[in-house]
Amino acid sequence: MNKIASFLLWPVIAIVGAFSFAALAWGRGENVSAVWLVTAAVCVYFIAYRFYSKFIADKVLRLDDTRQTPAERHNDGMDYVPTNRWVLFGHHFAAIAGAGPLVGPVLAAQMGFLPGTLWILAGVVVAGAVQDFIVLFASVRRDGKSLGEMIKMELGPTAGSIALVGVLAIMIIILAVLSLIVVKALTGSPWGLFTIAATIPIALIMGVYMRIIRPGRVGEASVIGVALLMTALIYGRAVANDPTWGPFFTLDGPQLAWALILYGAVASSLPVWLMLAPRDYLSTFLKIGTIVALAIGIYYVAPPLAMPATTRFIDGTGPVFSGALFPFLFITIACGSVSGFHSLISSGTTPKMIEKESHMRLIGFGGMLMESFVAIMALTAACVLDPGIYFAMNSPSAIIGTTATNAAQVISSWGFTITPDMINQTAVDIGENSILSRAGGAPTLAVGMAKILAQAMGGKSMEAFWYHFAILFEALFILTAVDAGTRVGRFMIQDMLGHVYKPMGNTQFLPANLVGTGLCVALWGYFLYQGVIDPLGGINTLWQLFGVGNQMLAGIALLLCTSVLVKMKRERYVWVTLVPTAWLLITTLTAGVEKIFHSDARIGFLALARKFSAAAAEGKLLAPAKSIEEMQRVAFNNYLDAVVCGFFVLLVLAMCIFAAKICLQALKQANPTANEIPPLGPAQGVPA
Amino acid sequence: MKALELEGLPAAPSGAAGTSGEVSAPKQAASGRARGIGQICRQLFGIPDYERYLAHAQARHPGAPVLSRRDFCAQAIERKYGKSGPRCC
Repeated sequence: MNKIASFLLWPVIAIVGAFSFAALAWGRGENVSAVWLVTAAVCVYFIAYRFYSKFIADKVLRLDDTRQTPAERHNDGMDYVPTNRWVLFGHHFAAIAGAGPLVGPVLAAQMGFLPGTLWILAGVVVAGAVQDFIVLFASVRRDGKSLGEMIKMELGPTAGSIALVGVLAIMIIILAVLSLIVVKALTGSPWGLFTIAATIPIALIMGVYMRIIRPGRVGEASVIGVALLMTALIYGRAVANDPTWGPFFTLDGPQLAWALILYGAVASSLPVWLMLAPRDYLSTFLKIGTIVALAIGIYYVAPPLAMPATTRFIDGTGPVFSGALFPFLFITIACGSVSGFHSLISSGTTPKMIEKESHMRLIGFGGMLMESFVAIMALTAACVLDPGIYFAMNSPSAIIGTTATNAAQVISSWGFTITPDMINQTAVDIGENSILSRAGGAPTLAVGMAKILAQAMGGKSMEAFWYHFAILFEALFILTAVDAGTRVGRFMIQDMLGHVYKPMGNTQFLPANLVGTGLCVALWGYFLYQGVIDPLGGINTLWQLFGVGNQMLAGIALLLCTSVLVKMKRERYVWVTLVPTAWLLITTLTAGVEKIFHSDARIGFLALARKFSAAAAEGKLLAPAKSIEEMQRVAFNNYLDAVVCGFFVLLVLAMCIFAAKICLQALKQANPTANEIPPLGPAQGVPA
Repeated sequence: MKALELEGLPAAPSGAAGTSGEVSAPKQAASGRARGIGQICRQLFGIPDYERYLAHAQARHPGAPVLSRRDFCAQAIERKYGKSGPRCC
């Protein structure tokens, strides 16, 4: 019976998918419903999961349920717990889904909906899901070891140390760019800032409740927290309109940047139970709830795609980010297609909870498909907006000016007709003063979501509420990431400094902790502040730097996967990881080198730095800089960005050499040389 | 060994509170289901699951001292966030 059903089901899914793609292809020039886009994506996911992930599970990795997983070996009822696979799927998905899949696709929408969609779908099937799946597999076969430890085991200690420095550098850039997104979303937005600020006391109340008032009752504390959060969101409008409190919560970019830097330093020094843990629960509830609501909303409202399939900006002249489709689309959309950061999660807590090896297919491969689905929805939300509104929100003020009239004129001249009234009306609808130049993806996504959700529930009058709900949802998990990331960055810095000066490595030693936290915050705070005050750079510089770093990390993870396959003597199937590795290396190395050396000052860091320092030497001012000092700062920052970018390029080249050497050695061996825990061995590592 | 983990709905862990034989069967099933849903939610959101730990301790190490709810949650949160791996972008 089951066989017949399956025999009929898969052709049906294939036909539905093909039909959806046809609807997208034929509907060019007129408005196509977003439902076709989402449906086409879902069909691709089902087919990829059913066939490709099965092939990887059965033939390439040969998952074996008779092998003990770390959860069985060490089952302690706390960290190592065999967990139901659907529950773990949800848990893993919540851990990998962050702001990344929401931001990248929104920025890439400037090229139209088609390039982004195709890369998200092709990338996730060939690269992203494969990486997550095989890293998870490698970690489970190595007793839940982390990515850094596995690189050390399989590629040697030098490779391991280099990779760790790379991970730290990428984290610094991620923290800066995530904070920048929050700054862009909350600048001059008292309603938004009030609700975000309210999450701090709410988290503290929850923390005290579950630690002191009713110890261990996390569920009760969470219910209270969510209720308080919704209250803050509803009363935020009244606060924003209040003559005293409104201006109090209206901050400009640099003020917000300092507030975030201070927040990062303080929050990451507090005990985890007081703020980090309760906020993380809140943000997970909101995250899962909002994503489900958005999926239902898109199907229920079926909004038409207003953005054309492709725009003229695929030639690299776009206002949101500069650079042509190849290679810059492939670093702009990272999470959603393939994200190096997932290799850290897939080798973190998830492998310690896997019940059976066969479950890894659903959790590793399937979890990433789910994240890709979120990216598709984010792209959809950006593309249902009027393109004029989209460009008004995402172009820097250096290009479109600071008034609605000016912006409407510039954007209309690109062929996306829009009036100043439409821009102003959108701001009024969402309860904000201005929507101009709110780059960073979050506000655009929030406007798109507000339009969809308001049509599904509440109508026009609820748009402002849904907009601020969406901002809250994004800012909440970004701030959690800033808190947790600063903490991890501090441990990594202390670990490294500990090799130079022993007491620095002691995490119980207060001065060492303060130095570690201070250094970490100073590093990301520097990039954040420069991004905030730089009218040229900001998101379009930092996001690309992040994209290069993140995809380089994915390249490193896939190099590890490739080496593992070769060492297991599965070289027949090595193309499974080698093809995505090659593609990532080609795109990111091209992007990295172009970002450094491109002669166009809008793309190349060095070209821009030289242009500004040369002009400064002659005493000439270049817009948007207002003083010679500002000119020199632009030049310095671009030299710095070039160095960071160059570091990523060298890092990945070094890892290529390590991996190639190891693979060549392994090819000569007759037997597998991978450092796996052997099957059915005596229970190693007796449980506590 | 791991039979006590939830596969669908978990068998009600015979709690330390002793079983009063007066509870009717449907009522027991309903409370078991509620507990199951609660457990799924806790695992999904990564909330410390004291009941699961208790069940584990009774099955694996009967008679050994167990942590109080307060200590268990404090330790679980400290381990999860104290030195946790990097969060995703």
